[in-house]
Amino acid sequence: MAEKKIKIVISGPYAAGKTQFINTISEIETVKTEVKTTRSGEKEKKDYTTVAMDFGRIKIDDEHTLYLFGTPGQSRFDFMWDILGKGMVGLVVLVDSTDPATFHEARRIINYFESRYPAPFVVGCNKQDLKGAWSPDDIRTALDLGEEIKVLPLVSVDKQSVKNVLLVLLDEIAKYI
Amino acid sequence: MAIAGDLRIFNLVDIFQVLRKDKKDGILVIESSPKNYAVYFKDGDIIFIREVAKVFYVYLDVDFEGVLRKDGISREEMYNILVARLPNFLNLKEGKFSFTPGFIKYPLDITSQVHIEKLIMYLSRQLTEEEVGRKISDLHLVFEKSEKYEEIGRKAFLTDYEKKLLTLVDGKNKVEDIINISKINELMVKRTLYGFLASGIIQRERKKERRIGFDLTRGLLNKIIAKIKGL
Repeated sequence: MAEKKIKIVISGPYAAGKTQFINTISEIETVKTEVKTTRSGEKEKKDYTTVAMDFGRIKIDDEHTLYLFGTPGQSRFDFMWDILGKGMVGLVVLVDSTDPATFHEARRIINYFESRYPAPFVVGCNKQDLKGAWSPDDIRTALDLGEEIKVLPLVSVDKQSVKNVLLVLLDEIAKYI
Repeated sequence: MAIAGDLRIFNLVDIFQVLRKDKKDGILVIESSPKNYAVYFKDGDIIFIREVAKVFYVYLDVDFEGVLRKDGISREEMYNILVARLPNFLNLKEGKFSFTPGFIKYPLDITSQVHIEKLIMYLSRQLTEEEVGRKISDLHLVFEKSEKYEEIGRKAFLTDYEKKLLTLVDGKNKVEDIINISKINELMVKRTLYGFLASGIIQRERKKERRIGFDLTRGLLNKIIAKIKGL
C-alpha cells in the first residue's frame, strides 16, 4: 500500500530550535540539509544551519506517516516556505524567547503563511528554561496575535514539552475537521 | 519573566505595545549614552521619567512618593517635568532596555495624563521603511477593528488621514487595497497600520475557516494524537 504523507511544518527564525524540536520527537534520525555557517551574525550563534529543510518522521499506521518538516530560518531561503506550505495540515512557529530580535522574523513568517496557507497554527516559545526568557503572553502581544492563537511555553530538548506543543496543534486542527 | 532587549531592534513602539496590553505597572530602564532613563509605568501609561547617572539608583526607591521627594519635585510639577523630558526620551533609538514589573508602589490617586496610545501613534508616524516592514511585512494582510477601537482612537488623537484609513480597515480589505483606495503614500499607510496594531485599535483578522491540506478524518486524527501521546 502506498504511504500517505501527513505534513506538519515547523518554522521560525534562525536558531529558534527547529531542528532540535524535530530531533526530539522524530522516530528516525532527522534527515538534515545542514551546512557550516559562514556568515557574520550567524556563525556566532551556531556552527551548522539548515539550507533546504529538515524532516523527521512518525509512523501512524501501515498506511499513514506523519512528517515534520523544518524550514530554513534565514529569509534568503524563504522560497522554501511556499514548497513546504502546500498541503500542510498545521504549522508550528518557534521563537527564541530570550531574543526579541527574532520576534520580527517570526511575525514575518506568520504573516506569510496566514496570507497564503492559513492552516491551523500554534507558536512555541522555545528556551523558556533560560534566563532572560520573555513570557508566552508578552510574546503573543509582541507578535500581534489574539487570544484565539495558542502561544505555548517550550523547551525543545524536552520530549514532553515538544509533545505538548504538537498535541495542542492537533487539538486546533480538530476544530476544523 | 523578562522584558528586555535592544532598542535598535525592538523600538519604543514595540515596547509600549507590550506594556500597554496588560496595563503593566513597573519601571522601564533604558541604558543609553550619555543618559540613562527610568520610565515609571502605571496601568500601562507613563507617569514619570527620570534621568539617572547610574542605573542602580533607580532601584533604591520602592515608593513613588520617595522618588519625587528625592528629585525635589512636587505632585503639581510632575506633569510639566514629564512633558519636558518626553521629547528626549522619545528620540531614543539606541540603548538596552529592561522592564521590571511591580517593584514601585504608587499612591492610589496618581494617574497618567499622557495616554500611551497617543505616544504610540506619534512615534509610529516617524518609523522607517525597515521598521514598518517588521509588522506590515505582507501586502496581503487583512486587519479588523478591535472591540474598543473608538475609545482607543480617542486616546490616540488620530489625524484626519489616519481616521480615513481606519474606515478602510474592515476585515476584508488587504493592505494593498487600503493603499489603492486611499491613494495615500504606502509608507504612511504602513506606519499608520503599525501604530493602530501597537495601540490596539486594530487586530489581525480572526479567521473563521482554516485550510487543512490533507483529507484528515477525525478517526485518523485520533490515531495521530494517540501515537504522539505514546512516544
